[in-house]
Amino acid sequence: MLDETWFGWALIAGMGVVAFFTRAVFVLPGSHLRLPPTAERVLRYAPAAALMAIVVPDLASTHGAVSISIENPRLVAGLVAFALAAATRSILATIAGGMLVLTLVRLFAG
Amino acid sequence: MTLRREQGSALREGALASAPLLVGIVPWGVVAGVAMVSAGLTKAQAVAMSLLVFAGSAQLAVLPLLIAKAPLWVMVATALVVNLRYVIYSAVLAPHFEHLSRPWRALLSYITVDGMFALFVGRYRPGEPKPHKHWFFLGGSLMMWSAWQISSWIGIFSGALIPHSWSLEFAATLALIAVLVPLLFDRAVVCGALAAGAVALAAAKWPLNVGLLAAIAAGVAVGLAVARLGAPRAGRG
Repeated sequence: MLDETWFGWALIAGMGVVAFFTRAVFVLPGSHLRLPPTAERVLRYAPAAALMAIVVPDLASTHGAVSISIENPRLVAGLVAFALAAATRSILATIAGGMLVLTLVRLFAG
Repeated sequence: MTLRREQGSALREGALASAPLLVGIVPWGVVAGVAMVSAGLTKAQAVAMSLLVFAGSAQLAVLPLLIAKAPLWVMVATALVVNLRYVIYSAVLAPHFEHLSRPWRALLSYITVDGMFALFVGRYRPGEPKPHKHWFFLGGSLMMWSAWQISSWIGIFSGALIPHSWSLEFAATLALIAVLVPLLFDRAVVCGALAAGAVALAAAKWPLNVGLLAAIAAGVAVGLAVARLGAPRAGRG
């Protein structure tokens, strides 16, 4: 337990440094640093790739095995959430709609 | 006296302009609060994380890795990649704030969030003689910051009241989807993200660190390749 507590604080410290560094890297020095175009292109693709790499396995696998089926409630709810997010751009609508679909699929497929 | 009044009115204008964004940040903060505690952080750690990190998508992205007991460096690296968009924001904001003192620049860096960045950039151009624009930025950002902290606390301290069978942790994934979709602004980004998702799924059984980082690398590579193929020679599409 003590180990886990230590781990949590180390994680918070590491993420805190990262979060401040990424935001301050150009603003804080205040000099006329410019971002090279290649770096800018890489930076455009990385965040979307990272988020998708976290979301997809969470939706399309159960207990570590790939599960692409209409009977996988998380997958169905996740796909609906993508559509809702694209249509409404609302975090609230996306969460509420996704949770509703998750519940419905569990009720009727389970 | 006039100076004070102008600063105050810029602060208020920023706060008012941010109001529509608060509707989006509150459910997200509550979900993040619940998710941090259910992932195994203590309440004190969850409060500290929202205060010190103050980056919702990075916080939510790291939690599944915490549950899966990934190594520390993988979680910090993931937070870094998810936060890379802030490097771009920082580059765009730097000329606006370069005349300010160092403490001001540190404060505005810490408090930068997606929504307020978009509002600010839509409203001000770098060369403009608008001496109080940082007060506008501060006003809106302070509102976003307060909304995030308070809604996180609600999730942290009331999450235990919500029955486990509701699968509220899934709401964290849904919140990530809501944050991800606006990032998919062109074909190259979409292709890169889909490639990253596919690799992450295929690599789900690999040790977690390799799979996630390989997926991100694949996503960036595919995004760059599609952008290069898709752009006509004469210019950039």
